[in-house]
Amino acid sequence: MKKIVTPITDEAINEIAVGDMVYLSGYIYTGRDAVLPKVLELIESDGLEKAGINLQGSVIFHTAVSPAGVGPTSSNKLEIEGSIPALSKAGVKLHLGKGELSSKTIEELDKYNSVYAVIPPVTALLESKTLERKLVAFPELGMEALHLLKVDSFPAIIAAAHGKSIY
Amino acid sequence: MTMKQQEMIINKIKDTLVRAGSTFREDQKEAYRQAIKKETLPRAKWVLETILEDAEVAEKNRSPLCDDTGIPHVFLEVGPNKSVTGADLEAIRLGVAEGLRELPGRPMGIKGDDKQRLDQSGGLDEDSAGVLPAPILIKQVEEDVLRAHVLMLGGGPAIRGITHRVFHKHSVSVVTDEIVKRASEAVALLGCSPCALSVGIGRSQFEASSLMIEAMVYSNFAVQSDLEKKITDKVNESNVGPLGLKGATSVLATFMKVGPQRASGIRVVCMRPSCCFEPRMASVEL
Repeated sequence: MKKIVTPITDEAINEIAVGDMVYLSGYIYTGRDAVLPKVLELIESDGLEKAGINLQGSVIFHTAVSPAGVGPTSSNKLEIEGSIPALSKAGVKLHLGKGELSSKTIEELDKYNSVYAVIPPVTALLESKTLERKLVAFPELGMEALHLLKVDSFPAIIAAAHGKSIY
Repeated sequence: MTMKQQEMIINKIKDTLVRAGSTFREDQKEAYRQAIKKETLPRAKWVLETILEDAEVAEKNRSPLCDDTGIPHVFLEVGPNKSVTGADLEAIRLGVAEGLRELPGRPMGIKGDDKQRLDQSGGLDEDSAGVLPAPILIKQVEEDVLRAHVLMLGGGPAIRGITHRVFHKHSVSVVTDEIVKRASEAVALLGCSPCALSVGIGRSQFEASSLMIEAMVYSNFAVQSDLEKKITDKVNESNVGPLGLKGATSVLATFMKVGPQRASGIRVVCMRPSCCFEPRMASVEL
């Protein structure tokens, strides 16, 4: 198992290959259908810093954050997959979710030296590895708001990297 | 019904719902152990091991197996000398609400009128108990018992499930081949494999769906009929694997209930590709 710690550098991404099983640690953002388009609007309007968001070397985990815990939703939903190119361009290095992505998205990931990993929907296990959770932006979205988690050794598999896909 | 009797039902249903949402049954654990032994792809084996580890942590902490904690479905078995009153049903409803709060269930109930619930503009209910249970199914049984089964049905399988007729052409294979075709496509898109396929075959959409629930209620990973095993084996040939990452284990088992049929060219088939944690179910005598 390889270990990945945030913030993730370009050098670290260069050492990752499709099929690698990894443990992910550090601070990771969460977001899904409702909030990711709003984050894209912040990128467009240069409003990330004001909102307290730093995407350089970051991770976006496609999940809600509720009292039940966290777990991946399908990353190939329109709003989620559609956000991947712009988020990668803005500095996100790892997108974490589940399901197959299109070849076009995989090309876009490669363009910005970003990767995609899938994580089993193991909520109880992930809860035991979540050290902190904080609401960052868009509180009106409730469990779908942008949150920041501090995690220790989230298990994942690299599903798309450097123009290649596991699917 | 006395207050004490009502309290007893509420507590039993509450506990049963929490067990359903947090616990793998022994036959389910054994199905995973066997699948782990058979898998040759390291990443497929690793996914299965991680799911089993999750089940151990969830059981120990009595916490959700998955963050999509599901929609509560209650199935009641009623024996010859037992009865179900309105007060019983109210106590069950209250028990479900308490169970959702204790698990805790994901607060994903949508508020508002018909239109607001359709387009989700009414907002989310912050109370886990805002996720209302589906209508209760009641089955007459020979055993003299009043037993409740609580199932927690997640959203992913609801997206990929299909209830639709099959022109059977007077052939069992035509029906099972169509189930395999529908299931293979659904499992590939599900994401949260390995699945347990749940199938009901009836004369109407309602009956087929009810039989699918009944198939889950009486499910046992260790007991498979020839037809169930055939469907499982055929779908596993698709090589979708755990989490869709390839491998031998796309489906752990098939649970199928065939109801009464009528003279007709069609059978109505309800097929649900239950996710890697389902059937999330627990039972209790009331």
